[in-house]
Amino acid sequence: MGRKGNTVKVKKRRRRPESQPRRAKKRVCHFCREGITQVDWKDVTLLRKYMSDRAKIRARRVTGNCPRHQRQVATAIKNAREMALLPYVSVK
Amino acid sequence: MRTYELMTIHRPELPEEQVRAHLKKMEELLAGRGGVVKNTDFWGKRRFAYEIDHLSEGYYAVVTFEAEPPAVAELDRALALADEVVRHKIVRPGD
Repeated sequence: MGRKGNTVKVKKRRRRPESQPRRAKKRVCHFCREGITQVDWKDVTLLRKYMSDRAKIRARRVTGNCPRHQRQVATAIKNAREMALLPYVSVK
Repeated sequence: MRTYELMTIHRPELPEEQVRAHLKKMEELLAGRGGVVKNTDFWGKRRFAYEIDHLSEGYYAVVTFEAEPPAVAELDRALALADEVVRHKIVRPGD
């Protein structure tokens, strides 16, 4: 059996020492930092930043928004969609 | 009285004066029922993000006002019946 070409590469995982667990980067929600209490659903350019290029709403773990503002962003996008300011789907 | 925000989309084939006249009429409807119009922002023609009723654009306008709930219900009805309006939305900012 020729083994050339179909060798399975086994990636060696470097284990992080138990003594220093991975620390998450501390991010502050954009809206909290700017002191914006209410997300404006008419601000299309701002809301675009929280959508993928397929027009899906980005998850909180991607945006780094706090729960309250993420919720506001989501409803704002939905409102804007109803008024055809933002798309529901966008073909890539 | 509560603060509301109205966004309307008018049909694109209408002349702009007619759209403005219709908006004025809606403002008068509110004023006639004790409402106070605070600000009217006429955006002009804007392309839709997707097709609505085989249309690809429309006149957008945003009206901020204060009114009692029954007056708002009346306005909502009038806008739903108006042929000039493609779509409208009334929201209470801040909740």
